[in-house]
Amino acid sequence: MKSTMNSSSATGMTIMMLLVFSCLTTLFVVVPQAEAVWLTIPSSGTKCISEEIQSNVVVLADYYVIPGEGHHHLPGISAKVTSPYGNNLHQKENVTQGQFAFTTAEGGNYVACFWMDGHHQEGVSLGIEWKTGISAKDWESVAKKEKIEGVELELMKLEGAVQAIHQYLIYLKDKEANMRQVSERTNARVAWFSIMSLGVCIMAAALQLWYLKRFFRKKKLI
Amino acid sequence: MEQTQWKRSSKMWMVLASLMMSFFSGIESLSVTVNDVECVYEYVLYEGDTISGNFVVVDHDIFWGSDHPGIDFTVTSPAGNTVQNIKGTSGDKFQFKAPTHGMYKFCFHNPHSTPETVSFYIHVGHIPSEHDLAKDEHLDPINVKIAELREALESVTAEQKYLKARDARHRHTNESTRKRVIFYTVGEYLLLAGVSALQVIYIRRLFSKSVAYNRV
Repeated sequence: MKSTMNSSSATGMTIMMLLVFSCLTTLFVVVPQAEAVWLTIPSSGTKCISEEIQSNVVVLADYYVIPGEGHHHLPGISAKVTSPYGNNLHQKENVTQGQFAFTTAEGGNYVACFWMDGHHQEGVSLGIEWKTGISAKDWESVAKKEKIEGVELELMKLEGAVQAIHQYLIYLKDKEANMRQVSERTNARVAWFSIMSLGVCIMAAALQLWYLKRFFRKKKLI
Repeated sequence: MEQTQWKRSSKMWMVLASLMMSFFSGIESLSVTVNDVECVYEYVLYEGDTISGNFVVVDHDIFWGSDHPGIDFTVTSPAGNTVQNIKGTSGDKFQFKAPTHGMYKFCFHNPHSTPETVSFYIHVGHIPSEHDLAKDEHLDPINVKIAELREALESVTAEQKYLKARDARHRHTNESTRKRVIFYTVGEYLLLAGVSALQVIYIRRLFSKSVAYNRV
């Protein structure tokens, strides 16, 4: 089930969600966690997932505990999301499901960590839906605003995907350019430091000779 | 008037929703740290869906040797069969047709003690076939073409994510090289200076009068 977490008008969204849910129940078998990835949270210890995201990208995520066979009640987990600079973007304790959404202010590694509260014997499965960039776009509100539907909306989605690909290529190119600079600087440094090491060697030898000559002259051995 | 309008818009939303559901695809791109075995599960709705993806070992702190020891990657179908098995690799792409629908298990196994960070991307793509077209009268043949286009674009996106993960790994290596160059050269200079000073001190001691044997 596509979960849209943007803040649109509440009543419109509820009607929309009811319609989608009714479609799901009538046309298809209700499938939970259709787009999600499942992870197992160990009974002790933290499980972290991360992604390197550029700046100014919308991130939507939804996480929920999967009920196992033997569990009568859903064990609670805690979640924490940190930005690359260490800011706490989302923190929740002892919940069975939650969601967070943010726009990345800086580029870097965004980490979402989950751990189990209290003492449990076995781990638990956690479903995570993690959407960034174009996948996080709210197409229903765009369709409503522009009053397009069906094939036209699909083509618009494809156009959005193509533009996202283009932007991503430019981002990759910039990252590669940065890396190339670092590589070339390291290359120049290797050359300089090697020659300098020869210089340091010669200088050390010269200093030694000068000092020993002075020492022996003082001792009147030469 | 308002009732018919509401009925029309609800029908439109149902068409939209059914269209969106038929082009359902699962997209996840994440990094996890693999200590021993790390398994990721993804649900495949339809039998015959193409599951494609890639994974790259991003963070490997190997001191000597340029070759990564590699991790093992296994895909298990809901029936328990091993669909895909790649051993001892530091990154690869995979693609296969799902034999059944259900929960598929993607496992990374790290045979060594050092934890590795693996960046993976899994995509489940569904293209409605003629059977789906016959079942659902809302689906047009054009939807099949749109789905194929969408899948092609998704494969480009998957390739980009693979490139990004490999680029991240390359950047790790570069950073490590840069740090090694600086620290090892400065360390080498200091060591050289220290050894020459020690040599001089030792020779001085040889000539000192306090030592029992005074002649060299």
